[in-house]
Amino acid sequence: MSPHEFLPREIQVLGTVILVAFLGWLVYLVRTQRVSLRDSLVWILSTLAALALTLFPQLLVGAAHLLNVQIPSNALFGAAVIYLSFNLLSVTVASSMNAAGVRRLAQECALLRAEVEALRRQGAPQGRTPTLELPEVAPPKARS
Amino acid sequence: MPALAARLRAAAPAADVCLIDDGSSDATARVAAELGFDVLRSPLNLGIGGAVQTGYLWARERGHDVAVQMDADGQHDPAQLEALLAPLRRGEASLVIGSRFLSEGGFRSTALRRAGIRYLSWFLRLRCGARVSDPTSGYRAGDRRAIELFARSYPSDYPEPESIAVAVRNGLRVAEVPIRMSERAHGESSITAWRTLYYLVKVSLALILLPVRPSRVARGGQRA
Repeated sequence: MSPHEFLPREIQVLGTVILVAFLGWLVYLVRTQRVSLRDSLVWILSTLAALALTLFPQLLVGAAHLLNVQIPSNALFGAAVIYLSFNLLSVTVASSMNAAGVRRLAQECALLRAEVEALRRQGAPQGRTPTLELPEVAPPKARS
Repeated sequence: MPALAARLRAAAPAADVCLIDDGSSDATARVAAELGFDVLRSPLNLGIGGAVQTGYLWARERGHDVAVQMDADGQHDPAQLEALLAPLRRGEASLVIGSRFLSEGGFRSTALRRAGIRYLSWFLRLRCGARVSDPTSGYRAGDRRAIELFARSYPSDYPEPESIAVAVRNGLRVAEVPIRMSERAHGESSITAWRTLYYLVKVSLALILLPVRPSRVARGGQRA
């Protein structure tokens, strides 16, 4: 069957416009540094994949046929769920890593507070920040 | 707390004591500081795992050879410190757990929780071969290796049973000594009766997922 039988041209145009706008918004967020390039990568790549499916519905028909999915639009729904799950999972991973980082920072903060108080008790001048010898903290490794 | 402080000073006059204030809004930190303890005040509530780990980080930074972890609510009696430290001194273990079930009498918790603890004990033994009768006990002593390990990686939510598994997985020897516990003088257990099930499910899951975690936890600990 021709691709336009299950993906009418109007819907194809609308989908393309929405996805391109979304991609533009992503690029804007990255360029204004509100989303880091690393965190946006999953969104950009998966949105490009969605765009490819919208522009070339034959890909979807082929994939549906290959997977023995009877109606190509069901394959589209499946792909959409995977797209969302994948992006949501990457957000969850980022959030967990943030939580671990915050925990470590709060611990360091507690240790430093205790050290500052101990120095104050030893007679360091009040109201001025004593020079502290900071404990060695391993620099954060880049996430792969 | 002053009563606990006095008993602690009597039991271990030379010990370096710190109290961890996990973002509480009451006068805990001030009272403890007035009693002469080092107070580690976290700017936000880290939960028990994060709070306990702060203590191990403190011990590591100060280069201590032995760290004892003890609840400040009166459940754990400083007079029993010597018993807890004995296996460390004899070099028989790196981590010693104070067990209320190996001793006669004392506070033993409710029947439901005892059943839960028995299950955890069984599961822990099944999962990593640790024989611990009271895996939820927070009265423990660790040597240098335990301090290093826990400063690097310590589980977060309900960490007691999981931390034993982490220790065993990392090749630490774990021993248990009989300890008498009192009912806590202040506050309530963070684990209410109807959260017991959630607790058991979460800890079981943590124990099941254990093999894939150590390297990742260690990496996270160093990174963070």
